[in-house]
Amino acid sequence: MTQVVFTPHTGLTQLPPLSLYVHFPWCVRKCPYCDFNSHEARAGFDDLAYVAALLRDLELALPAVWGRAVHTVFIGGGTPSLMSPAAMEMLLDGIRARVRLAPAAEITMEANPGTFEAEKFKAFRAAGVNRLSVGIQSFDDEALRRLGRIHDSRQAHVALDIALHHFDNVNLDLMYALPQQTLALALDDLSQGLAHGVTHLSAYHLTIEPNTLFSRYEPAGLPDEDRAADMQEALEARLAEAGFMHYETSAFARPERQCQHNLNYWRFGDYLGIGAGAHAKISSAEGIVREMRHKQPTAYLQALAAGDAVQTRQRVARSALPFEFMMNLLRLTEGFELALFAERTGLSLAAIQRELAQAESRGLIERSPTHVRPTLHGQRFLNDLLTLFLKDD
Amino acid sequence: MKHIRNFSIIAHIDHGKSTLADRFIQYCGGLDAREMSAQVLDSMDIEKERGITIKAQTAALQYRARDGEVYHLNLIDTPGHVDFSYEVSRSLSACEGALLVVDASQGVEAQTVANCYTAIELGVEVVPVLNKIDLPSAEPERVSQEIEDIIGIEAVDAVRASAKSGIGIEDILETVVSKIPAPVGDPDAPLKALIIDSWFDNYVGVVMLVRVVDGTLRPKDKIKFMATGAEHLCEQVGVFTPKSVQRDSLSAGQVGFIIAGIKELKSAKVGDTITLVSKPAVAALPGFKEVKPQVFAGLYPVESHDYDSLRDALEKLQLNDASLQFEPEVSQALGFGFRCGFLGLLHLEIVQERLEREFDMDLITTAPTVVYQVLMKDGELIEVENPSRLPDLSKIDEIREPIITSTILVPQDYVGAVMTLCNQKRGVQRNMQYMGRQVMLTYEMPMNEVVMDFFDKLKSTSRGYASLDYEFKEFQTADLVKLDILVNSEKVDALSLIVHRATSVYRGRELAAKMRELIPRQMFDIAIQAAIGSHIIARETVKALRKNVLAKCYGGDITRKKKLLEKQKAGKKRMKQVGNVEIPQAAFLAILQVGDK
Repeated sequence: MTQVVFTPHTGLTQLPPLSLYVHFPWCVRKCPYCDFNSHEARAGFDDLAYVAALLRDLELALPAVWGRAVHTVFIGGGTPSLMSPAAMEMLLDGIRARVRLAPAAEITMEANPGTFEAEKFKAFRAAGVNRLSVGIQSFDDEALRRLGRIHDSRQAHVALDIALHHFDNVNLDLMYALPQQTLALALDDLSQGLAHGVTHLSAYHLTIEPNTLFSRYEPAGLPDEDRAADMQEALEARLAEAGFMHYETSAFARPERQCQHNLNYWRFGDYLGIGAGAHAKISSAEGIVREMRHKQPTAYLQALAAGDAVQTRQRVARSALPFEFMMNLLRLTEGFELALFAERTGLSLAAIQRELAQAESRGLIERSPTHVRPTLHGQRFLNDLLTLFLKDD
Repeated sequence: MKHIRNFSIIAHIDHGKSTLADRFIQYCGGLDAREMSAQVLDSMDIEKERGITIKAQTAALQYRARDGEVYHLNLIDTPGHVDFSYEVSRSLSACEGALLVVDASQGVEAQTVANCYTAIELGVEVVPVLNKIDLPSAEPERVSQEIEDIIGIEAVDAVRASAKSGIGIEDILETVVSKIPAPVGDPDAPLKALIIDSWFDNYVGVVMLVRVVDGTLRPKDKIKFMATGAEHLCEQVGVFTPKSVQRDSLSAGQVGFIIAGIKELKSAKVGDTITLVSKPAVAALPGFKEVKPQVFAGLYPVESHDYDSLRDALEKLQLNDASLQFEPEVSQALGFGFRCGFLGLLHLEIVQERLEREFDMDLITTAPTVVYQVLMKDGELIEVENPSRLPDLSKIDEIREPIITSTILVPQDYVGAVMTLCNQKRGVQRNMQYMGRQVMLTYEMPMNEVVMDFFDKLKSTSRGYASLDYEFKEFQTADLVKLDILVNSEKVDALSLIVHRATSVYRGRELAAKMRELIPRQMFDIAIQAAIGSHIIARETVKALRKNVLAKCYGGDITRKKKLLEKQKAGKKRMKQVGNVEIPQAAFLAILQVGDK
């Protein structure tokens, strides 16, 4: 008697585009609202040694993505602009030597005012960085002080001048609904940012995240939800006037200037993540795996020295895929082509028909035979839309 | 028989009854230290937490008195709350004496007075004890005087004790022996045994706690319940020490248990008389009464698929609580659930808490209501225990509501405030008596006002000093109307109330305003209206939320953001979807919070 064993296959017929995320974990000072994996560099840091570790980390990760081109690179943090130009050059040269970078790949680096020196940024550009993301947050000195930023508005302006002198693709991060902020102040921040001629702008509603200083001691004078919503709508209108497309919940870009790296996240693409606490998502014929590396820089370096920087590695359950897909794709104003769902998850569309119908009946999405996109209502109530796809288990 | 003493303890909640009972058991060696977990007689968790005894229990104690003789003391524990006054009266009628335990700093409370009066009416010898005598705030002279003023018994030489520190325990036991008479009864007469309490045991079925008044009962005797007429074979008899110990017989004067292979609690009703089939008693013992629920509320599972588990849980509770009634009910707003009948508000709360705690049920409870008698124009008289079932007003001739006589004992300083409250609740004063520093007020009051929020209001207006006892008096015709609540133009049947016309507009406005506070903002505006018939008397709006979205989500965030949304979803699941509006559990009890600041 022959026993037939069916191994469940994912149904993935092709692999999505691949990006590379590089984490630089140090900052001059930890901001009270920040819940990213960042650490004050009290004892300093050895950037060349860290880059050597990153490259080692990349080499160990290569077998999982053998032969695949890398379409974008994003160096985030922390504050990567604290790195020396030499370290940056070593990093990007090292990446190019180990993976096939797509032609004209977008290479973004995050930078914070207070770390800007003209010569250094010229060198970053020369090393291969072609996009900057500048964490300004506000141009109001009082607001910056309350946010615990290390820079003032003058330094913010200087940073943007230097950034735009050397780079033609620059993102500016702003936050609104800040403590004591008025609608006029929020709009004033935006005007000052736009005046610099940036090509991309991220406007984040200040969120009090758990395990931050702000969650323990909530700052006084946070605008209530109605005032915050007023700010959001006014900022969106002003950005539209200025010719920016609102392409994702908090992201705005001039035509052709969307952040390709982030778009790959939101289109449920793959990414390698190297560096302390970096996350990765890798598809293969066997399914989708998520990885996280050790968060503490010292733990990361030790684990790497021992041969594996990965702290957790998990297969994503098939039942979780519809939600994870939607959580990303529905952030995009343009939504997605239905065919992409099967392509990225390996599941049939039947898995989400009921939820889509529910979402449509509640006015949260619009559908055509080939396409789904969130309505304006769906964009504003994205959490309610997404919970439709959450499975009870 | 002259060495038997049957007695119970009358005390207000927290005045130390259970601790005292434990001291007696300890003193007489009923349990060793290992078995002596705190407050043995209160066995349910809720009882331990709230310090209330719900089921009567008993302990047979051996006490060697100062005269050198050994006495058999039967301590019968009594429930300590107004909802269970019938059970208290049955426990007391099984005794020859009762210890009146009064907190030496707090003094006499209404509950205690009512139970004392019951005891005195039943001819039970009441022996005063001042407890918590070692507290710095104790005022034994004043409290003794108060006992004499209010209850009218001699209290100058009341035993002074502290159950907690073990002071005066032996003195109390000596007083029990010397002041409380031994039982009288004829062991050879036809059997008469009073059922003091009954409960269900998973192994042996129904266990009955009885007091044998006359005659003798042995295993293998065929017994008969005089109220129901049912006959059973007695399998076991015995006593609680408080451990259960089998005996060869129970005879006149003794207190103990009977097991007779009975499967259903309703066959062994508290207050019924047991006799022998072979030699029946001529008449039953007096005082038997069918207990009827006075307060009703709808209990619904938050998740409709938990309906069956809720029914199972209610059935299990009913095994040990014959006074709990329930029947299936369908609400348009809440789906399938049960209309449950309770002896009173505390009983309701206890059942609700046990369902949530012991059975892990997620419940929505509707506002408690009383039974209304509705006289239809065609002459039919119907009982309405769910406001949404009130027939159309055009077909109604009159509505009658239950009226209670309530006795309130309150320190003089708060009399004015309490009288104002009683007037607001449509109370009519029947009596007012100054008794030492306290005043006893007697009011006739519609019971529906009392179940609404009277207890809490009474406590807050008197800073917790006022105490209340009540009993049903009669049904009276009243000008009552049904108040409906509409959420986004849909009538929510589970929120309907029957109220007096005079207060209906105020109630409607307050209720709509309270609902607005309790219903969280959602994706759209929510209109809340209060209506009497087709007449809208109040409107409130819960403004729509502007957005609900996570500002940031990048590659690394997915697990954390997912958890956040899972939390949001779980929060929503605890709410009930009515139409497309999510209503939190608390909103269904909003009426109880009306008028709170």
